[in-house]
Amino acid sequence: MAAATGTYEIKSEHGEVINTSTGLSNKKLLMWSFLGSDVMFFGSFIATYLVYRNRSLVGPYPADILDIPITSVSTFVLLMSSLAMVLALSYIQQGRQKMGTFWIFSVVVLGAIFLLFQVYEFNHFGQVGLTPRTNLFGTTFFILTGLHGAHVTLGVLWLIFLGFGSIKGSLRADNAIDLEIAGLYWHFVDIVWIVIFTVIYLISARDVGPPG
Amino acid sequence: MQNWLTSSKLTKLALPVLALAATLFIAACSPEHPQSTFGYAGPVARDQGNLFILIFWIAVAVFIIVEGGIIYIAFRYRRRDDKIPKQVHGNTKLEITWTVIPSLVVAAIAVPTIIGIWEQQRGAPTDMGDVLEVEAIGHRWWFEFRYPNQEIVTANELHVPTGRPVNVKLSSQDVIHSFWVPKLAGKVDMVPLNDNLVWFIADEPGIYDGQCAEFCGIAHAHMRFRVIAHEEDGFQEWVAGMRTPPEPFEAGSAEAQGELLFATNCKTCHTNDSWRQDAYSLEIQQQESRWNTWLDDIENSRLVSAPNLTHYSQRNFLGAGIKENSRENLIKWITDPDSIKIGTAMQAHAAAYQEREDNKINLSNQEVENIADYLLALEPGDISQLVAPAITGGTPEERGEQLFISIGCNACHSLDADTTIVGPSLIGIAGRAGTRTSLSADEYLRQSINDPGAFIVDGFTNAMVVPKIPPNQVDDLIAYITTLE
Amino acid sequence: MQTTHPGPSREPISLSFPRIIPRPKSEYGIWSWISTVDHKRIGTLYAVTSFFWFLVGGIEALLMRVQLSQADSTLIDPEMFNQLFTMHGTTMVFLVVMPLSAAFFNWLVPLQIGARDVAFPRLNALSFWIFLFGSLFLNFSWLIGDAPNGGWFGYAPNSHVAFNPTNGMNFWVIGLNILGVASIAAGLNFIVTILNMRAPGMSLTKMPVFTWMTFVTSVLIVLALPVLTVALIQLQVDRLYGTHFYNTAAGGDPVLWQHVFWLFGHPEVYILILPAMGIVSEILPVFSRKPLFGYSFLVFAGVAIGFMGWFVWSHHMFTVGLGPAANSAFAISTMAIAIPTGIKIFNWIGTMWGGSIRFSSAMLFAISFIAMFTIGGLSGVMHAAVPSDAQQQDTYFVVAHFHYVLFGGAIMAIFGGIYFWWPKATGYMLSEKLGVINWLIMLIGFNLQFAPQHWLGLDGMPRRIFTYAENMGWENTNMIASAGGFLMAFSVLLFMINVVYSARKRVPAGDDPWDGRTLEWSISSPPPHYNFEKIPNVEHRDDFWFTKHPELIAEYYHDEHSGELTAPSGAQFDEDAAEEEDEHADAHAEEHHGDDEHGHGGIHLPDMSYYPIILAAGLTIVGAGLMTAIPVIIIGTIVLLWGLLGWSFEPVNDPVPDSH
Repeated sequence: MAAATGTYEIKSEHGEVINTSTGLSNKKLLMWSFLGSDVMFFGSFIATYLVYRNRSLVGPYPADILDIPITSVSTFVLLMSSLAMVLALSYIQQGRQKMGTFWIFSVVVLGAIFLLFQVYEFNHFGQVGLTPRTNLFGTTFFILTGLHGAHVTLGVLWLIFLGFGSIKGSLRADNAIDLEIAGLYWHFVDIVWIVIFTVIYLISARDVGPPG
Repeated sequence: MQNWLTSSKLTKLALPVLALAATLFIAACSPEHPQSTFGYAGPVARDQGNLFILIFWIAVAVFIIVEGGIIYIAFRYRRRDDKIPKQVHGNTKLEITWTVIPSLVVAAIAVPTIIGIWEQQRGAPTDMGDVLEVEAIGHRWWFEFRYPNQEIVTANELHVPTGRPVNVKLSSQDVIHSFWVPKLAGKVDMVPLNDNLVWFIADEPGIYDGQCAEFCGIAHAHMRFRVIAHEEDGFQEWVAGMRTPPEPFEAGSAEAQGELLFATNCKTCHTNDSWRQDAYSLEIQQQESRWNTWLDDIENSRLVSAPNLTHYSQRNFLGAGIKENSRENLIKWITDPDSIKIGTAMQAHAAAYQEREDNKINLSNQEVENIADYLLALEPGDISQLVAPAITGGTPEERGEQLFISIGCNACHSLDADTTIVGPSLIGIAGRAGTRTSLSADEYLRQSINDPGAFIVDGFTNAMVVPKIPPNQVDDLIAYITTLE
Repeated sequence: MQTTHPGPSREPISLSFPRIIPRPKSEYGIWSWISTVDHKRIGTLYAVTSFFWFLVGGIEALLMRVQLSQADSTLIDPEMFNQLFTMHGTTMVFLVVMPLSAAFFNWLVPLQIGARDVAFPRLNALSFWIFLFGSLFLNFSWLIGDAPNGGWFGYAPNSHVAFNPTNGMNFWVIGLNILGVASIAAGLNFIVTILNMRAPGMSLTKMPVFTWMTFVTSVLIVLALPVLTVALIQLQVDRLYGTHFYNTAAGGDPVLWQHVFWLFGHPEVYILILPAMGIVSEILPVFSRKPLFGYSFLVFAGVAIGFMGWFVWSHHMFTVGLGPAANSAFAISTMAIAIPTGIKIFNWIGTMWGGSIRFSSAMLFAISFIAMFTIGGLSGVMHAAVPSDAQQQDTYFVVAHFHYVLFGGAIMAIFGGIYFWWPKATGYMLSEKLGVINWLIMLIGFNLQFAPQHWLGLDGMPRRIFTYAENMGWENTNMIASAGGFLMAFSVLLFMINVVYSARKRVPAGDDPWDGRTLEWSISSPPPHYNFEKIPNVEHRDDFWFTKHPELIAEYYHDEHSGELTAPSGAQFDEDAAEEEDEHADAHAEEHHGDDEHGHGGIHLPDMSYYPIILAAGLTIVGAGLMTAIPVIIIGTIVLLWGLLGWSFEPVNDPVPDSH
């Protein structure tokens, strides 16, 4: 079965896949290329955020509002989910179905916890007066982290889908590639968060309004 | 078949050349080309044009080689028989050749390009004459011009002296516009929140056409302006005129009625008395607050940024340089602005246009004509025919100060030592005047007031007009001026 | 990582999704087109759709030409004029040149690399349907009289809601975002196809140049389109939800929009022109009966252009006031890009040199491409000279420049490509006589329209003005340009007449009407559904040519590198890679020996599917919902999920009980 993308490979009579020109499977190459594309997507938003640092005309500014300890916790949760992802793939590849299933759902849970942190943070910021319409910081912050959150959500849904596949036995060692590409996506989204966390919470945590 | 086709290759080259020649011919026959980039009227446009011509001839050479090569090869190697030609793979030496030669050509173009960039994009040079500082602000769809040192605001017609660098600070209040006077200098954009500089020198007096070159909305095509270059004397005269009030209108005349109508219907947006004390800073503040009011409530705002109309009769064009400034056009403009220039903020926002179904002005024809007559009568008054008002009471210095302001000396003579409006600043004049000539300071000043051309300080021209002042009041004035420290 | 996919012999999947509609089976009729996943059919769909938009964009252009042919003309009102030039630009870039190129990618890439389809046929169908719906969505704005009016470049803050409150620019941002999804999906698909699906022996250095240029273009699409997506999302949330990315009142910077837009926009220029360069690189050798001159230099120049295209975007912004340092740097990088472009032009001329040139209509278009593109390139260098560009920026000189590149270049090449590959795709010839007349009139009309516009620009006529005063001296020149425009329109009409005429006459083309060089000419015209009965084993560049003329091989390999390479081994570039490829080739050959010798009993092609069109429809409805109401978004999401889940649970091939 195929995951979210259709696949087609030249197959022999007995269904073995003929080696591709590069030796990489089509799906994997597709995912790598897509991630390249997504780098440009997040890169442009992060660049926008950096351009608009210290340029909000009114508060609240990052210095007034960012809570680094809480976000560090959620960052840690997301990092751990990547670890769980590695374990899940390893178990599925070894054919240890139950352990694989457990770790897939661990990723799902950790991802969901991260999303809950984000919901809490957005909600909290809204209460203290920062919305996407407040100032440039609000606009760039919410849109960037919100789109990252959307990526995480998509990943969680995808992994739930694969987790059930693992329970039902349609995700197994012989098509672990489906989990592997989901894993590629998940690690990428994780890495993007590290960059976002660094840029927003670490580098610009003390930012205020424009100088003068 | 092949011969016919081969000859069509010639047609292929000939066509663009012929088309270009034909257009050049037709162009040459046309009467005017007010925005030709080759009609250089100053050094900036000339340098830009010369760089273009240089590259153009290089391009012509490349064009002839490449297109000639294509035609020659197509003809020379047309298929004559069924033989298979030699299967050539490539040739490394040739590849290197046609990599290196274009690189050299490009490098040759890059050098003057970069020299030009650094000459033209860093503001006016200080070694080519006394720089006139001007600010140009883009609005949808007209140009505001400010002279911060002369404290003048005007619109759509930029007056400059010849032979002096003009440094224009460019900004925009709403969207991106572009300041372009092809005969004087290439365009530079007017970007909100990002001020830019462009500079030029006009070699000869004349009227130079300019146009907004960045798409800015519905009336983009109608966003034009003029640069009017005067000889130095003429420019100073214009500046002095802008600082001089018009003569009062006879009570009950059409102009006087127009003045009243203007005050009630137009004046909240259109300033027309820039000669007044502090009018300059006030105008800047007001323009800002009109803008903010509009932005706060775009739908319902009755205030919009609007052109300053001081001494309107001196304008050559109306509607941002698109129609001749005639009485007929002006009446049409006031009645129904969009019929001349679509999308005017005036028709969309000003209260006078909001009451009728067809959005025309809610005034009678007679009233519109009165406003037009009033506007067309706005010009600097002849001060020399006025008599200075009698002032009584107080010390001579106090009477002198009152007189100094009431007859408008301060319009041109700054009371700040570092500022030059039109004439020299008068701070410390008591000390300087006595040393200039053999006359005493008082006598020097008296002669200067009675005969403004008597002594001209270096770097200034005589643009001073003085009303008739009785001798005792001249004494008061001198008493005041000599106290200025 | 070795892939170990399960074959059809696997146990049935227990996880399933209800099939609301049965899997399509029909091979004829409209439903077979709607559910097709065949790259050739999808190519045809792209071609027909984008040709339709070409006519629409052309009509928009003609209306503008009519308006501008006279001074102070009031035929078209200013708002309409702004909508026309905005939609003309948007249409020609996103709905014509890009998808017409995609039509060529679809038709040719699998045929040129010896594959049976693209890597992801359903994704390919999805790309097309999203493109179709996105283009309809964008143009729907005409029907409600509210077409986008802020220019194809949508400069903020003029496109911001404070200055542009109507719905037009909403159609623009959402429509282009929908189209962007289609482009990125197609780009990803072709990257994978070209890297992974090559026939045994076809190393990258043996790939046809068109396929190479498709690859470079796909990489550019995949990297550049997301940047546009970002710009559009920023403008969209500003317009619809009141954020401040480009709200100057809150400090939003108009220059940022330009940076983001042109960071996409300049690679986009190469996305438009590289496929055309690829097409020309295929046509010239065939009709010169000579291999492409300097293959590796041409390919390298194409890659270099694709790379350098990322470092020149600010030359669209020379008058914005970035400062002399930035402007100098971008002037140099822009001039530098002329060098690989020059290499390409000289190599094309080198291909003709010493050849035996046949002036077929395809060849005439290809030669005109070189001639016209050279003019566009030369005026491009003029723009790189910042000081003189200050006079030319935003004038008709620029309009002339990029039409020489995009019409004289891209469209001319595409017409050449159509005349060249039409027999392969349909099995019958287009009339050559009409083709030559079509070419001649198009060339004359084109030059008549755009050569004078150089002069107009130098004479100070800005772009995007709906009218001009009589005393400006632009009227006669504009009249000539407009006449040229109608001549061009007539040439397009001739092309359509040719299509109808030739379809009636049906002169059979045969498999190889032009004495072609690449693999697509080795199979029948039109190609069978499965393309290649046996996947070919590739030994040379222009493999099919050398199969026909084995005696020329030694001559071909002789003259470069001072005779060092005399043998056509695959070992020319990377020994290891070549060996690996050989192994693949062997493995592959074995597989096929196992197949039954006759027919294509062993060929598995993906089954047809409705889900691509359903998913595409869902996406478009969501887009429409963003502009209208939340319930529409919900409906769209449901449709989208239906497509997505149905797709996920649908195997590429349904089990065929009697297959073996």
